[in-house]
Amino acid sequence: MSSHHESIIREPLITGENITYAKVTEDVLVPVENKANKAWWIGFTIAALGALMWVVAVSYTFWNGIGAWGLNKTVGWAWDITGFVWWVGIGHAGTLISAVLLLFRQNWRNSINRSAEAMTIFAVICAATYVISHMGRPWLAYWPLPLPNQFGSLWVNFNSPLVWDVFAISTYFSVSLVFWYTGLLPDIATIRDRATGLRRKIYSILSFGWNGSVKTWQRFEAVSLILAGVSTPLVLSVHTIVSFDFATSVIPGWHTTIFPPYFVAGAIFSGFAMVQTLLLIARKVMNFENYITMFHIESMNKIIIVTGSIVGVAYLTELFIAWYSGAEYEQYAFLNRVSGPYWWAYWSMMTCNVISPQLFWFKKIRTSIAASWILSIVVNIGMWFERFVIIVTSLHRDYLPSSWAMFYPTWVDVAVFVGSIGLFFTLFLLFLRFLPAIAMAEVKLLVKTSSEQSKKALIKGGKVDKEHAKFYVESLDKYDSVNQADYAKI
Amino acid sequence: MESNKKYWKGLEELKQTPEFVENSKNEFAEALPIEDVLNEAGLNTVTPRRDFLKALGFGVGAVTLAACQPAPVHKAIPYLIKPEEIVPGIPNYYASTFNGHSILVKTREGRPIKVEGNPNCLLSGGRLDAQAQASVLDLYDSSRLQAPVLNGAEASWAQVDSFVKGELSKIKAGGKKIRIVSSTVNSPSTKAVIADFTAQYPTAKLVQVDAVSYTGIIQANQNSFGKAVLPHYRFDNADVIVSFGADFLGTWISPVEFTRQYTKNRAAEALERKKMSRHIQFESGMSLTGTNADARISLKPSEEGIALLNLYNALGANVPSKKLGNNAKADKAIQLAAKELLNAKGKALVVCGSNDVSTQILVNAINSLLGSYGSTIDLTNPSNQFAGNDAEFVEFINEMKRGEVDAVFFLNSNPAYSAVNTKEFTDALAKVKLRVSFADRQDETAALCQVNAPANHYLESWGDSNPVSGYYTLVQPTINPVYNTRMAEESLLTWSDAAVKEYYQYVRSNWEKTVLAQSGKTWKDVLQTGSVYMGAAPAAAVSFNRDLNAVAATIISESDALAKASVELQVYQNVAIGDGRTANNPWLQELPDPVSKVTWDNYVAIAPKYAEKLGLNEFDLVEVKSANYSVTLPVLVQPGQAAGTISIAVGYGRSKAGKAGNEVGKNAYPFLTFVNGTFQTTAAVSISKVGGTYELAQTQTHHSIEGRNIIRETTLKEYLKDPHAGSGHGAGHKTYDLWNAYEKPGQNWVMAIDLNACTGCGACIVACNAENNVPVVGRDEVRRRREMHWIRIDRYYSFNEAGKSVTEEKEIAHLEDMDNVSVVHQPMLCQHCEHAPCETVCPVLATVHSSDGLNHMAYNRCVGTRYCANNCPYKVRRFNWFNYWNDSRFDNYLNNEFTQLVLNPDVTTRSRGVMEKCSMCIQRIQAGKLQAKIEKRPLKDGDIKTACQQTCPANAIIFGDGNDPNSEVSKALKSERTYYVLEELNVQPGVGYQVKVRNTAEV
Repeated sequence: MSSHHESIIREPLITGENITYAKVTEDVLVPVENKANKAWWIGFTIAALGALMWVVAVSYTFWNGIGAWGLNKTVGWAWDITGFVWWVGIGHAGTLISAVLLLFRQNWRNSINRSAEAMTIFAVICAATYVISHMGRPWLAYWPLPLPNQFGSLWVNFNSPLVWDVFAISTYFSVSLVFWYTGLLPDIATIRDRATGLRRKIYSILSFGWNGSVKTWQRFEAVSLILAGVSTPLVLSVHTIVSFDFATSVIPGWHTTIFPPYFVAGAIFSGFAMVQTLLLIARKVMNFENYITMFHIESMNKIIIVTGSIVGVAYLTELFIAWYSGAEYEQYAFLNRVSGPYWWAYWSMMTCNVISPQLFWFKKIRTSIAASWILSIVVNIGMWFERFVIIVTSLHRDYLPSSWAMFYPTWVDVAVFVGSIGLFFTLFLLFLRFLPAIAMAEVKLLVKTSSEQSKKALIKGGKVDKEHAKFYVESLDKYDSVNQADYAKI
Repeated sequence: MESNKKYWKGLEELKQTPEFVENSKNEFAEALPIEDVLNEAGLNTVTPRRDFLKALGFGVGAVTLAACQPAPVHKAIPYLIKPEEIVPGIPNYYASTFNGHSILVKTREGRPIKVEGNPNCLLSGGRLDAQAQASVLDLYDSSRLQAPVLNGAEASWAQVDSFVKGELSKIKAGGKKIRIVSSTVNSPSTKAVIADFTAQYPTAKLVQVDAVSYTGIIQANQNSFGKAVLPHYRFDNADVIVSFGADFLGTWISPVEFTRQYTKNRAAEALERKKMSRHIQFESGMSLTGTNADARISLKPSEEGIALLNLYNALGANVPSKKLGNNAKADKAIQLAAKELLNAKGKALVVCGSNDVSTQILVNAINSLLGSYGSTIDLTNPSNQFAGNDAEFVEFINEMKRGEVDAVFFLNSNPAYSAVNTKEFTDALAKVKLRVSFADRQDETAALCQVNAPANHYLESWGDSNPVSGYYTLVQPTINPVYNTRMAEESLLTWSDAAVKEYYQYVRSNWEKTVLAQSGKTWKDVLQTGSVYMGAAPAAAVSFNRDLNAVAATIISESDALAKASVELQVYQNVAIGDGRTANNPWLQELPDPVSKVTWDNYVAIAPKYAEKLGLNEFDLVEVKSANYSVTLPVLVQPGQAAGTISIAVGYGRSKAGKAGNEVGKNAYPFLTFVNGTFQTTAAVSISKVGGTYELAQTQTHHSIEGRNIIRETTLKEYLKDPHAGSGHGAGHKTYDLWNAYEKPGQNWVMAIDLNACTGCGACIVACNAENNVPVVGRDEVRRRREMHWIRIDRYYSFNEAGKSVTEEKEIAHLEDMDNVSVVHQPMLCQHCEHAPCETVCPVLATVHSSDGLNHMAYNRCVGTRYCANNCPYKVRRFNWFNYWNDSRFDNYLNNEFTQLVLNPDVTTRSRGVMEKCSMCIQRIQAGKLQAKIEKRPLKDGDIKTACQQTCPANAIIFGDGNDPNSEVSKALKSERTYYVLEELNVQPGVGYQVKVRNTAEV
């Protein structure tokens, strides 16, 4: 544990007074160690009903066939793969936060990585449900795996991007799960130590015998770094491979080399938006204001502007290239996106993804909790439309005009998608109840160096430059969890 | 507390004897008799008696217990006594006849599963239309009557016979009239049976009436030449064809024959001779024939007669005429057509679809003037395909009304549905004492009869046919009756107490007396070949010398009467459903109309600009009202429809056709009018919007090619200058490939499709359905764009404005004049690409390439990701969204034990969740290869024909081995006109298309 002092001009990552290691534990474990409050039950009931709807809709599909959806001979994928890519994209923020930010020593990740990783895992689960449910014969869903078999000399097609997808998603899921769980071990051990009876037994098993020895911590740190190293390429590779589903095809509007970077940026964009959506609520309901501070919110909003702008540039590049290529079918595909029967989807995408995040250039907006929350939802609506635009508007009018068709969703399409959101929230709410939503061990690392109280002590000690102190105090303006009056006295 | 106590196991241990000390070092204190055990029983191969008995007892017991599991009972009956000539897995072919066309019926294990044209057939040359292809499905129709019905209750044949005979003898005593109402009878044996019946019951008479009648032509020939016949048209002898509303490629008289004749002068063969006939079509609705014309001019029904008068005058005659008022385009075209016709004198043909006697007399005059008789029209060897007499039928209703008829028999006729005034007909029919129907189902007329004596399906019957003079074909059964039915002729023979009651004997002796005696052939010969052609008498030229003043006056007055209408209605037959007889055939209901691509419904076709003027949009419901009938139908915007007119197809609105055909569309027969002794297909109507919309199920909803070069066409003039004109494959055309080429030993299956031959009739679609067990999905699923057809025909409209072709949606929207529409049909099926985009994306290798150039689909391996279909640039892959063959929601097709008998056992039925597509009839390829192997010879070109190719009346599809430079397909693909659709993608399709050439008139 580093005991050096952090520069005063850096904004604090933990606010509040009398933050001790014990207090961190107390604060974070409130929802885990107490009975669930009303808000949780209301949220859980709604989410569980959504998940139930998902079960009903997916069962209906399995019973009747994919015909229950609105697909047709021309549009073979629509809400299913839109939902799949959307969920995979959302999952990306978790890995980025846990792996890339760890490697870059961005300590502010410590407060949000746990939830973000949980979100990743649940989002990938939602995505995986689509992988299976969109199949015509889901009972054979294991066939795309290269399993040794006795069907003859049957093997999978390693040329198919769908097979790459299978590898990408399963690798991603397993690495994310291991990373997340490894991070949880010291925290589970903390819960174990404070629990009694059956809970103690369960958490004891879950803690894998964590004993808090120096050796354990050392290994923990080593494993975390290794896993971060393993996951970092995944941040780039998973959505790259997902984009190959489209990029390697011959369909105009899909057959695009720009897809890999554009998809990755979009994924991070939507992932951070989802983290915002979840944490802004969780922070309020679970009184985590001191740990997830305005600094975190603002930082994430900045990432949203950057990735949103990358996505915007990609959209414009696509349009430019379509025109510049002189390729007839390509040109029509993009003209059709912009002005065809699905123009409203394209312009919804443009508005939500390119224009709305630009509002975050205004400090007022990016430090406003309400605005951040609303925009985070707008971004994810936009990202859903992005995938819908790519998939449906490319397919519905491709090469031979005789086959051009429209796609109209059925109630089952809608129910599977809305239900998958219900499933996601059910899992997330269960996570909040049973596991610490903030990585306690990692936040504790920051208490002595990056917390508001430690900085306040520095100022009080008079060891810092006056100008710097003034700058620091001013930077605290935006914090809703800081009482500026305290500083007036100093 | 520590214990010092020590326990010992025995005295040896206490005493620590040397023996004990020694042994305690070993694992076992005493030596185990392992060696002994192994040597004696263990490794010994001798089984002791007791062990043997134990094993035996256990074995028998276990097997007995396992056998207690009830084995599933399969209701398959093996051939305990194998019928002669039936080998399971090997099809048998029998010659028979459908509608006068000689056919071959493929049977498997005793059940007919496919109908194909007999290559010997004079009319079809082995080709068939969609209805003939679909006819096999009717055999297994579960809506057919499964037993005779007497007074509303199921009865036995004996009961029916005694009842009918009893009634007939009473009627005979009473002396009142007996009528047999039938559609055209051209079967010599049936005619003889009716003659025998009439001999027994002298008051009996045959009344022939066709739902869609050709009385006008027949009466006109009576008037002009004293011959009440339908001539035999010879489109193959015509260099210039001018048709006034005759849909001769789609529905008029004998479309398969005419299509063969027509394409002979227009497709590859003719172009090689640097010749092509010119076809000018004047019509109100867009017919299949109109879509193929070199020039097509919209004409209102009221203008048709006037146009003919003008044409006649333009050809040099002088009859009273009238200006073609507002239709300047038609006026100009008439002058041009006249010039063309005169230039081609003796090789010209004018046909007219009208059923008006005066109009047809005028057509006779024109053809006579052009010297068509003896060349393009054969009156010496007439056609017997239609012989109905409208006036006789009207008289028959009057007789019934007057109470003069005591007995009526309905044979292949359903006037309660197709009569103009059904109420008048049913009221009159109620006065008849004995009403007998031979219909195979309880149709609209049969429901009004006391006796339903269901006749066999033709595949269960004996019979014969004499479709054109000198040509006799035989109908032979290919299966025992599926239900308890009996041939109508046999019923009539029974009721007339004939000496020979068995119709088989009757037909045979009839043939032996007549046809066989004359031709010197034997009965066995005919059973094998299916037909006898006695040759044609040399066609004699005839001269026309009637005065046309009265005719012209009638035409003008009829035209004036019709022109007063706010809207002129043209009632027509469409290609799939025809006159409505086949309305319960789901293959035909789901066959898209060749022009509108609508399935499962009829509609009001209306021109786009005219619809705009009336404030009507596509699918708006409108009420169409004539003097005494009205229906509410949805609007279909049809480019090319004459302004001020609408078209409605007959054959729909059946109420008692069966499960699939009931209440599909609305009945349009009551719009017909009885004028001057014939039923006319035009009527004066008004239309009004009734509010609401009704979505028609179309298989194609975008109608222009958007300027894409997927369709390539040229004009004859350009083609003669440069044969590469349309294809762009002339000098300087280079191709590049990123990949290494593989060697293709053996066969390389490819296909050539001639856009200049294809008329778009859709016979291939139904043939493919039958051959490959393609499911029918029903109207709702077609609306969701999920039809399953493996081959489809894309139809594109383009509009000509100021000499330029407009093909883009956005430009079309701004066009002022949308009458100059030209149409192209493009059959589209799996292209079996060499670099198939579908193959690379399938995660499980369910679709792979074969060494002989085919793109295979392994249904069993498919998990249904649909990625292949998404990545197919041609969108020819079809996904099984549901279990079509076993899902109660798709009850119009295979969900019963009878209809499933039509399935081709060589082709797997696909389960839900599986992708399917054209396999190039791989089962036929395999069968052809095996046959060659059995005969120890290499495959010959033509051994293997795909189902679509086999049936195509235009011979537009050629399939074969691309590695054989002498094969038909290689020759066709070497044509300068060959191009490949989307070839710029370099997927290297295996299907080449030949450029469409139009012999456009230079206006």
